[in-house]
Parts: sequence; C-alpha cells; structure tokens
Amino acid sequence: MIGTLVGVAILFPIITGFICLPIKNHRARGGIVSLTAVVLIISSIFFLRQGSFPIEYSPAPTWDSVILVFNYVILALFLVMAIRDIIQRGISRHNILTIALTLAAGIPLAIFEFSWAPHTPLEVTPALYIDHLSIIMCLIISIIGSLICVYAIRYMRDHEEHRMHLGELKETTQPRFFFFMLMFLGAMNGLVFANNLLWLAFFWEITTLACWGLIRHDGTPIAITNAFRALWMCLIGSVGFSLAIMFLWNGSLNTISLMEVISNGASVGPVFLLPFALLCLAGFTKAAQLPFQSWLLGAMVAPTPVSALLHSSTMVNAGVYLVLRIAPGFQGTHLSTLIAIYGGAVFLATALLAISQSEGKKVLAYSTIGNLGLIILCAGINTPLAIAVGIMLLIFHAISKGLLFLCAGAIEHHIWSRNIEDMEGVARNLPLLTGITIAGMLSMLVAPFGVLITKWGAMEAASGIGVWSTLVLVLIMLGSGATTVFWAKWIGRFLCHSPVLGRAKMEPFIPLYHGILLMLITFAVVFSILIAPVYNSVIAPALTEAGYNVASAFTTGAWFLKSPIGIFAAWPIFIIITLALLIPALATRAKPETIRSSYMCGENVEIGVDEFVAVADERTQLKTGGFYIENMLGEGNLNRFVVPVGIVLLVILFVLATI
Amino acid sequence: MSTGWLIGSAVIAVIVAPLIGGLLRGIDRKLTAHMQGRIGPPIIQPFYDVIKLFGKKPMVAGGAQLAFAYAFLALIITATVFFALRQDLLVVLFILFFGSLCLPLGALSVKSPYSQLGGHRELLQFLAYEPILLLAAIPIALKAEGFSIANIFEYGRPLLPDLWITFIALLIALAIVMRKSPFDISGSEHAHQELVRGVVTEYSGPYLALIELGHWYEMVLLLSILGLFWVTGSLWWLSIIIALASWFIMLIVDNINARLTWSWMLKFAWGAGVSLVALNILFINLGWM
Repeated sequence: MIGTLVGVAILFPIITGFICLPIKNHRARGGIVSLTAVVLIISSIFFLRQGSFPIEYSPAPTWDSVILVFNYVILALFLVMAIRDIIQRGISRHNILTIALTLAAGIPLAIFEFSWAPHTPLEVTPALYIDHLSIIMCLIISIIGSLICVYAIRYMRDHEEHRMHLGELKETTQPRFFFFMLMFLGAMNGLVFANNLLWLAFFWEITTLACWGLIRHDGTPIAITNAFRALWMCLIGSVGFSLAIMFLWNGSLNTISLMEVISNGASVGPVFLLPFALLCLAGFTKAAQLPFQSWLLGAMVAPTPVSALLHSSTMVNAGVYLVLRIAPGFQGTHLSTLIAIYGGAVFLATALLAISQSEGKKVLAYSTIGNLGLIILCAGINTPLAIAVGIMLLIFHAISKGLLFLCAGAIEHHIWSRNIEDMEGVARNLPLLTGITIAGMLSMLVAPFGVLITKWGAMEAASGIGVWSTLVLVLIMLGSGATTVFWAKWIGRFLCHSPVLGRAKMEPFIPLYHGILLMLITFAVVFSILIAPVYNSVIAPALTEAGYNVASAFTTGAWFLKSPIGIFAAWPIFIIITLALLIPALATRAKPETIRSSYMCGENVEIGVDEFVAVADERTQLKTGGFYIENMLGEGNLNRFVVPVGIVLLVILFVLATI
Repeated sequence: MSTGWLIGSAVIAVIVAPLIGGLLRGIDRKLTAHMQGRIGPPIIQPFYDVIKLFGKKPMVAGGAQLAFAYAFLALIITATVFFALRQDLLVVLFILFFGSLCLPLGALSVKSPYSQLGGHRELLQFLAYEPILLLAAIPIALKAEGFSIANIFEYGRPLLPDLWITFIALLIALAIVMRKSPFDISGSEHAHQELVRGVVTEYSGPYLALIELGHWYEMVLLLSILGLFWVTGSLWWLSIIIALASWFIMLIVDNINARLTWSWMLKFAWGAGVSLVALNILFINLGWM
C-alpha cells in the first residue's frame, strides 16, 4: 500500500511527463495532464487518510543505484547545457559559473560516494521518511501543483496562439513544457519524502533541472539567460548540499540519514552546526532569499503557470521546507537567532522593493520572497509556536500565491500586458476575474484570512525570544506596513474607473480559468475558517513528530486559535467581518440616477467620459496613475543596501556556525 | 469578568463611542477656533453636520466607492466591539487596519485626480502609523504577560510608568491617524488643503456621513488604547484623564504646526516613532524597565 502511494506520488507524474513528450495533439495531451492531476490529488488525500505517521519506507536497493547513476547524469547534463550555450551564444558569466559550480557540487559528491563511503551506493534505512510535515507538503504539491498544470492546458494554448500570431513561434513546444511541469511535481514529492540525504540531493537537482527547462521555455535570449542565472544560483545550494554531506560523514555522526542528523542536532556540539548552515544556504538559494532573489525575478519571463508553480507549490517551497525540517537540529543556538533576523530582513527589504514595481508579476515575486522570509524567520525563532506558524504560512501562502499568479495570467490573456498601470479599471471589463483577484489579494492582507493569522502568530511568537526579539519585531512590523501599501495600491488600480451608467457586463466564463480560480479562493476561505481543526489534524502532529512540545504552541477550544499569550477567535471574526462587508455590498447598489461624474473643478466634459476642459476650451484626456516612489524604493537604489546586507548576514551565519 | 457583562459593555461601547467622538470633535473645533481668535461653531455642530448629511440626496461615482464607505464604518465598529470584549490587542488592531484601508480603497476606486492623489497619500499615512501601533502592542504584552486586553486589566500595576516611551510613540501615531498638522497629508479639515478634501473628495451626502461616523469611532478607539496605560488600581480614572490629555495635546500640536511633506512624515514616524517603541522593548528585554 505505502509502496503504491509513494510510487504514484513520485514516479507516476514523471512517467506521464515522459508520455507527454511525443504527443503533438492538444486534446490528448490535455487528457493525460488532467488524468495525472486527478490521480495525484486522490492519492495524496488517500495518503493522508491512511493514518499512522511517521512512515518509514525503503524501496528495493536497486533504486539506490538508479539514483546514484541519474544524479551524475543530471550533473553531466548541466555541463552539456552550459557548453552548448558557450558554443551557441559565446562565453558569459552565467554559463561559466554554471560549469564551475556544477564541478564544485559534483566533485565533492563523487569523492564522497566513491571513495569515502564504505560501499557504493550508500544506503540508508529508511530511505524515505514520511511524517505529517512531508504529507502537508505532498498535499500542497499534489493538489495546488496539479490544479496549476490543469490551468496550464488552456493557458498554453492561448499563449502559443498569441505567439504564433506574432510570428515568434512556428511549431508547438507544449510537449516539452508539460514534461517539465509534471516531472517537477514528481521530483518535489520525492524531495519531501526523502530521508537519505543523497536521495534528497538527487531530487533537489531534478527540480533545478525542471526549473531551468521551464524558465527557458519561450526560447528568447532573455529567457535563456535567466534560465542559466536560476541554474547557477541554485547550484550554489547544491555545493552547500554536497559539502554538508561530507561534513556530516566526516564529523562525529557518520550518517547521512536526515532524521538522525536532526535528532542528534545541536547536542553534538557547535562544530556540528556547519552542516546545518550549509543546508540552510541550500534552502536560501532555492527560496530565492537575499542576495539570490534575482533568479526568481528573472524567472518571470516564463509563461505564467510556471511562475505559479515555482512560487506556490514547488521550487521555492523546497527551500523553506528544508529549513523548517532541520530547524529542530539547531534549536537554541545563535545560528537560529541569526536566521530569524535574516528572514526578517528579507521580509522588510522585499516589501519595500515591491512598492516600486509596476510589473504585476514582479510585485507577486517580491511578495513571495518576503513571505518565504517570514517562514524562515519562524524557523529561526524556533519555538513550537513559531514552527506551527511557519507551517501554516507555508500552506496559506501556497494557496493564495498560486491563485494570484493564475489570476495574473488570466488577466494578462485578456489585456495582453503585465503592467499594473494597464490594469486600470479592469474591474469594469472583467468583473468576475478581478473580483477573484481582489479577494485573493485580500486573503494575503487582511484580518480573518489565514496569511494574516500567521502574521499575528509570528508577531506573538517573536515577542518571546529575548533581547534580539526587538530587532526581529521591528523588521516584521515595518515589512507588514509596506506589504499593505503595495497590495492596496494595486487593488486601487483594478477598481479605478470613471463613473459610468449601467452595470458591468460579466466576462465569458472559461472553466479552466475561472473554475480553477474559484476552487483556489474557496480553499483560502475554507481553510481560514477551519484553521483550528486543520491545525489539530495535521500541524500539531507534525510538531510532535519534529520533537516540539505541542502544549506550548497553539491550543484550540471551540475552534478558536489560542497562543500561550493571545487568542484569535477565527470563525467569529470571519462571520462578523463577512457580515460587515457582505450586507452593505449586497444591500446597497448605486442607482443609475445617483451616479455623478468625478470632481474636476467643474471642468468635466460629460458623465462617463474621461475628459476635462483645459486651456482654450480644449477637451483633454484625464490620466491617473499609481505611485511607485522609485527614487527612494527603486531596485537601483535599494539593492545597493539590500544585497550587501544579505551577503553580510550570510557571512555572519557561517562565522556563527564555525566558532 | 462575566460574559454577560462583557457583551453589555460592547453594546454600550457601540452606542456611546460616537457620542463621545462627536462631542470631542465639537470641542476640538471650538477650542481651535478660540486658539485662532474666532468664536467657532456650537459644540454639538458635528452632530448637526452628520444629521444634515444623512438627509442629503445620495450621489456617488461608482458602486465600489459606496461599498467601501459602509465597510469602513462597519469594520471600525467591529474593532470597537472586539476591544470592548477585551480580545487580543493585535487582533483589534488588524481589524481596525482593515477598516482604515477601506478609506483609501474607496478613494482609489474613482478615476478622479483629487481622489487618486488623496487615496495614495492616505496609504502613506497608513504606512507611517501602522508599524508604530503594531509594535506598541509588544511592550504592553510583555508587561501584561499576554496580548489580550483582559490581561492588561488583570495586570496589577499601571503600564504608564514602565511604558512612557511607548506612550510618546503612540501620541505620534495618534496625530497621524487623526490627520492633525503636521501630518494632515491626505486630507485636512482646514482651508489650507490644495487637494480639495483629499481622500474623501468623491464622497458626499450620506456616504460622507458614514465616513465621519467612522472617524469618531476610530478616534475613541485609539484614545481608549491610550487609556489602557492606567486602568488598574484605585486610580483607574486616570485612564480617562490620560486619554483626554492626549487628545488635548493633539489639538495644540495641530494648531502650532504647519503641514509638512509625506516624506518627512514617513521618516519621522519610522525614525522617531518606531525607534522609541523599539527602545522600550529593548529596555524591557534587558530588564531595565
């Protein structure tokens, strides 16, 4: 039974991905993708329902050899890709770094596996360790990731039609696209189940490969450059991984079983912290934390479902998953405190940077990096309450951010632009789509929704860690203020339109767009209301399995969420706020006869026309715009401070880990 | 504190808060007038104003704008109720922020040059005061050993002696929330406003009345939070004095200052306001306070 479920979760999407490769027919490919999605969703729910966790499972020993071989195949592939790029486009920083870092990751790994290890391949029992944290991740990957793939069926058709129309594309490249998308899901499931660090490293490399393939999908020069940037930056993490494995073996532990490493943790002594710092580095690169944020921003060139997948259910989540997973190992050390400060710094910096961005997807990207920073902050605070909050944020962020990227993609396919300024007044033309998008943004932003509940939890958790809490709290509060500003002004652009008579007409309902978006926003609402039962059924057990004392995290009475120092009455707040918003929204309608044109010092032309009478009675177009404060908060200005701060904090991290 | 008593106090809060708020606005206008050598309107003029506004013919520039006016009032009342029920202080603030956010969102939902500028400036006001208010909850919670307002009532000692630094920071936040000079960036009742009426330019009649009511609740709620600094012991009535004194300080500050730029406001709020609270938290963590 377990074997079947694991096989379905990991191998099935990879196999169907390969099946997609030769299929040129759109319908047939769509069918396979949908089938994979349905199977993954059902099997992941089965997995959760079947009960007794943690599960220790070791497949046949041949798999160790398979993974050993394929790990080097992938590393060789990286080299080939980089060399081909040198031949085609000449030497650049990106392909040289790719080669250097692939060697830096591969050679230590090879030394370890073929020379240090007592036998090759080195087996660990169990190879897979599946607890509640893994299964939460598996549910996120299998449900949200699958929904994104289904959405992509329609999106990629529109996307390719548009590109063929522009003459950029002659033949469909979708088979390769869905191959990478589905492989991503399988690799991620493998990553969250793996206990053998070599297996973990292998799945880690597959996600890097799939990410590379998806970013360069459109084949434009900028896409290829950005794909290589993502590749080498993630390879820094792989170097960290390889070195961590060597240090772990060479240290006093002689093990590469993740569970043993964590459970021995800080007890072994401070020297032992170095592997943890290296694994954290790997997590930070994958989660695009400072100063590695540029790869995720560059990944925006890819079609939108790719961004949705990278930001919500895969890739970056692998990074924060790893940090949350190993957090018990460095509990109570200075390393842990520094990680909290680092996460807070990322949260604040990205929130400020997001204010200055006018490209919608970049705002979403900065918001992702910031929220991951908040999760890392929680891992750094490292109390039971904080870890519970971190896992909750992981869930809610995945739902809301997946939703928002898909919304951005659907809007893009109506207005053919990603610029927020071009989205002025789209609420009028696309009421349903914009309504869902605004609801999604509010779910990242305001009180009864899950993301805000986690912010509340993070603040309360951070208040209890002594002297350094001051700095961490200041970072959270300032970042939280800036977050509100960039979401609110975007919502403002959506809604901004001239007073016009008559009701907005609903746009045509596209099942693969609107249906999936409605499903995700329903998840966001339902999980927010049911946060207490969700906490009890999956998050609390995950804490216990990680060795945290659940009694000092949340308690739930009457479905309220109580921290040791505060209370969030989740569902009463939800009901009251819903009533406070819905009753006026439904009961009051602007009657046509009450509509007046906006105030323009009496120089309006007529109602419903964006024009005013200017000098010499000339009719002049009214233009409005959002503010971006680029002279203060622009990338050019802020990155001069932000990137060095990120580097300095990482250096301190390693200093703390070695002394 | 029994549940019945709490629910009763919530009902009273919802009824009494706008009365106090309106009265304070009236006295505000009277005192300001006297400071400026005018006689000023009667003290209950704000009530006349609101009643008259409610009687006016509704005129709107769009449906979204209208919904946000209702939501503004409804959410601030919700925050008041949660305060009266002695819930988690952070939760009260979050609900209040959601309400406050409806004001700029309403302004931004009309394509109008004045309203757009006002809405964006209101967001900057928000950016200035939100971190101070949230951060101020931390030293209170550290002292009262919990974030619930009930904890503060159960805490045997007044907060002000230990948290006077935080209190000063809260006064800065209060001035920004009340849009008093030098922080009346997004809209000010005085004539020296080039933005017509800033964030509420596009509101008129009954919808403007809703927003005015919301502001009354908002002011009373914030003054009540300041009152929390002395709610226990035999001198509990000092909380009322503290709240009124804070309100009076706002008046004086308003009248002796000119309006400054938003960038100055942001630097001052983040520089002075946030650092003051941070210092207070640091002192508590170091055991000095």
